[in-house]
Amino acid sequence: METVSFFRRTGTLLGLALIQVLFLNRIALFGYVTPLFYIWMIVRFDSSMTRSGILLWSFFLGLFIDMFSGTPGLNAASATLLAMFQPGLVKLFVPVDRHDIVVPGAVSMGGRPFAGYLLLSTVLHHTVYFILRSIPLGDWQVLMLKVALSSLFTFILMIVAEYSFVVPAPKRS
Amino acid sequence: MRSLLDFIVKHSYVFLFILLETLSLVLLFGFNDRQKEAYMTSANIVSGTLFEWRSGVAQYFGLRKENAVLVQENSRLRNMLYELADSQYVETARNLSAERTIAARVIDNSVRYDDNYITIDKGSRDGVAKGMGVYNPEGVVGVVMVAGNRYSLVMPVLNGNTSISCKVKGSDSFGFLEWNGGDPYIAQIVDMPYHSAVEQGDTIVTTGFSSVFPEDIPVGTVASVEHSRNGYTLKVQVRLSVDMSDLGWVYVHSRMQDPEIDELYREIKD
Repeated sequence: METVSFFRRTGTLLGLALIQVLFLNRIALFGYVTPLFYIWMIVRFDSSMTRSGILLWSFFLGLFIDMFSGTPGLNAASATLLAMFQPGLVKLFVPVDRHDIVVPGAVSMGGRPFAGYLLLSTVLHHTVYFILRSIPLGDWQVLMLKVALSSLFTFILMIVAEYSFVVPAPKRS
Repeated sequence: MRSLLDFIVKHSYVFLFILLETLSLVLLFGFNDRQKEAYMTSANIVSGTLFEWRSGVAQYFGLRKENAVLVQENSRLRNMLYELADSQYVETARNLSAERTIAARVIDNSVRYDDNYITIDKGSRDGVAKGMGVYNPEGVVGVVMVAGNRYSLVMPVLNGNTSISCKVKGSDSFGFLEWNGGDPYIAQIVDMPYHSAVEQGDTIVTTGFSSVFPEDIPVGTVASVEHSRNGYTLKVQVRLSVDMSDLGWVYVHSRMQDPEIDELYREIKD
């Protein structure tokens, strides 16, 4: 059981990393907007996972993308940071009395809390990412614009992914 | 003691977090551009192969334009060939024989960062080495920064660390081309002497002082000229002749350094 899920996760990691490196990294709308959709993997880790597990998976996801982007450590650092806060962020948006295994999603959490959770996670990750990317810090306004627009784009992509692949279509009556 | 151990085991993920984060930051800030190892850049074999595959698909869409540029260059080269055949100066052939161009394909490229890099599909086994100039029929592209075995990483004009020696065509005023981020079509020449005769619309070409580029490879045209703050030099804005966001084939300029020049440099250093 465990090995299957290990292979599945590896598949998810490779798939998301390839999408990021081959397509999304090439996008630069208005010179600012680069969606970092790969954090999809991190935001969907369920609460049965150990925190160390979440950290390790996220670190290697980031490192793998870095290897192909010529930015050693950049994605690894920001992904690891998001992974550290991921369980806490989930708890923020899930009722306290729930003790079952929560896979973050629109069905398990409810549409609005899930959207809030996604948005907060994205902004956290993108802020760290773009600060590290632009060191030495120069133009604050450009930096904030990059964070805001890219977060929005990533967020929209994740919402689209959630409602087209994860949430089952409503049954016709 | 036991409770301390319990504490450490329970919070082991915090230590793991610190470890991983430190590792990432060391990678991020420890890799100086100049010492980048090929395996950590896109010049490594895995990403090289991947990018090659992708650009193999993308290449078809640019074929028409690529062909037009090549035909133009062919005709120019043909003209040069006839001139050379007519000319009396056969001894220039001695210089020419030491020069070689290696054709390479750009397989990865960016223009939107402050420090951009290009990956090409030729490496040290094809004769590419660090410091060689890279250009295409339209003009200067950049300088090889890391030569992997099969792929190389090129530091293009659009990189904060680039400095390319160039001059106004037909005159001796020269300076160094740099880029400070921003517009990917405009670069700057700083340190051009105050008395230089530079005007808007002048063509900027390589000097050929260093053996990095051959002489007279186009760089761009002068967009504007202003006096720098100290008043002794000019700051020239150059509209680049190469569209860096649209690169296909490039040439790597490889030239056997004359041993005599090396000898001279060594004497100066000692």
